[in-house]
Amino acid sequence: MRRQSIAWERAAEVRDAADGWRRAGAIGAPTHEAIKNAYPDPCVTPSAVWRVLTAVMVTAVVLCSFGAFALAIRPREVGLSLLLWLFGGACVVATERLEGSLRLARRGAAGAAAFWGIVLFLGGLGQLLHEIRAISGEDALRLFLLTSALTWAAACWRWGSPLFAGLSVASVFVLLAQVPFGRTLWIVVGAVLVGVAARHLDDGALAPSHRRAAMVVLLVAVAAMYVALNSYSLDQDLLHELRPLAPQRVVPSTVLFAGAAVATALLPLGVLAWGWRSRRPVLLDAGIVLVALSLVTLRYYVHVAPLWAVLLVSGAALVALALAVERALRRVPGGEQAGFTTDALFSDDRGQRVLQVVAVAGTLTPAAAAAASAEKGFVPGGGASGGAGASDRF
Amino acid sequence: MNPDVVAAIARLSREGTLSSEQAALFSRVARRELVSVRVEIRALLYLGVLLLTSGVGIFVAEHHADIGRWAIAASIAVASSACLAWVIRSAPPFSWGEVESPSVAFDYVLLLGLLLFASDLAYVEAQFTLLGPRWVHHLLVVASVYVVASYRWDSRVVLSLGLSTLAAWRGVSVSVMAHSLGAGGAGALRVNAVMLGLLYVIAAVLSVRLDRKAHFEEIFGNAGLLLLFGGLVSGVMLSDLGWGTWLVALLVLAAAVMWISFRVGRPAYFAQAVLAAYVGLVRLVMVPFSGQSTGLPLLLAALLGVGALVLVFVAYKRMPGR
Repeated sequence: MRRQSIAWERAAEVRDAADGWRRAGAIGAPTHEAIKNAYPDPCVTPSAVWRVLTAVMVTAVVLCSFGAFALAIRPREVGLSLLLWLFGGACVVATERLEGSLRLARRGAAGAAAFWGIVLFLGGLGQLLHEIRAISGEDALRLFLLTSALTWAAACWRWGSPLFAGLSVASVFVLLAQVPFGRTLWIVVGAVLVGVAARHLDDGALAPSHRRAAMVVLLVAVAAMYVALNSYSLDQDLLHELRPLAPQRVVPSTVLFAGAAVATALLPLGVLAWGWRSRRPVLLDAGIVLVALSLVTLRYYVHVAPLWAVLLVSGAALVALALAVERALRRVPGGEQAGFTTDALFSDDRGQRVLQVVAVAGTLTPAAAAAASAEKGFVPGGGASGGAGASDRF
Repeated sequence: MNPDVVAAIARLSREGTLSSEQAALFSRVARRELVSVRVEIRALLYLGVLLLTSGVGIFVAEHHADIGRWAIAASIAVASSACLAWVIRSAPPFSWGEVESPSVAFDYVLLLGLLLFASDLAYVEAQFTLLGPRWVHHLLVVASVYVVASYRWDSRVVLSLGLSTLAAWRGVSVSVMAHSLGAGGAGALRVNAVMLGLLYVIAAVLSVRLDRKAHFEEIFGNAGLLLLFGGLVSGVMLSDLGWGTWLVALLVLAAAVMWISFRVGRPAYFAQAVLAAYVGLVRLVMVPFSGQSTGLPLLLAALLGVGALVLVFVAYKRMPGR
């Protein structure tokens, strides 16, 4: 990243924190103003709605322009690669210009241009590799994935997008799935990446967006390790799905399966414990998701109870756990225990509220009445998974 | 830890901008010595409610013959009443203004109670055919209960569920697990979506004008515009006959929404209007070239995109309270 961009990002971090303090009423307007003056950020930073809107329109412009030229020129094989690279290059140049501009750097246009620049470049490479007969399909795929990993990593380093870091690491893991002992490599490389990323999460020498990228790398690596270790993944050989040209899979031994079962149970608990000890909410969230996945895996192999009982018990357990934690934290003096609290502290609740509304309306709304048959019946849970609804399914 | 904020707090404290008490508290948060688990508790509650309602549904579907209709209806009613009783007991007094939830769990216990009520009503209707051939109207009853409850207990979540259930009653579902614009007549569904959208937009305006739960305006407004633009865009894109009329209506509405949202400072409304107008105009530039393999319509679509970008930049610069 440009040195200047890093300095602006650091100032933006402080100003964001100050906005939170002000919102919570912890500082007055004069102090807020003094902090903003002490940490000037000349960049124009619109809210997420503006950035998403800009990114969508930039995407439309890039894809429509490319489509128009492709239809007008109708290039063949190598020509299509060149056209893709030409547009990819134009997007990269545009990104560089946008990133250097105080008015345009953080408006969503640079991020979208960078993303499509890399996608078009990789598309051109994929097309070219497909056309070169001397390179076998497997080698072409490996070369493509290696280039993808390096390009996304370079883009993350240059422009600081955590999404690019995630795509780079994902490319690395898909590449590792192509070689023999891919599962072992997923575990080993995953562990190495977790170790490296964990050391840089709070590294003040890195730009704020690079620290966020380190967190994304850590999460993708943990997810990859979990997929490699999970007993269902081993049983069904899910990694084999990423290696279409590989020979037929070998059925895992009982010992290996037992080891995977133990790892399926232990890894989520380890992540949860790490999140608890380090008080990193993201790791706690990841631990909760992995525990849920492990319980689903357990239910797949061990039918302890009918599905409705499992759902009822786990639902009630989750609600009870949440209520107990909230109650415990609210009742202690100061509303804080072991460094955890239910107070919003200085975070902005608005984004969470939107997510909450979208999640509830998106998953608990009943099926449309007109979509249902004229014949009436009861739909489990009312709608698809709650709500209410009578339809023909009963 | 956020090292940039930690360093800034130390500097601001040294310079006297922050008092030592303020600096100590802010520093604890920046160093992650004090962390909020509010989001995690909400996520657990949401998942718990989702699993519970799904479990109840499957249980009822599988065992209604073994247990008996009355027993099932009564047990769901008891569970729903227990949740709602807890809500009534812990709720703060009613106000037309914004009321702070007494706890993080409050919204979700309310949600669970209402979802169980809705499940019970659907089951009772399926078993005892109270509404007869008008059985689909039980969704109207459920939606009305949701909306009333959202006002009484000041819940945005329940209001959004009420509005989406009302839309489902008219055949339009926003559920990710169900068909949007389901199998009914597309024209009738479109009209339903537009009418309902208008109704929600009017509710948004009234909630602000009359200062009655003015903070619900965003929910009403966004749901209304989503339905309005969804219906109109679907008319432009999918209707073979009369798509021009739909396009004119779409462009007029989009222009009006852009103008109003620009004046009152609502970027989300503005964004929906820009996207809907863009999609409609893309159809317009594509039509003269239908059946031809030329890049010109795509070039025009790209130019329209550039125009939209300019509009977005100008609007951002001038929109108040953006």
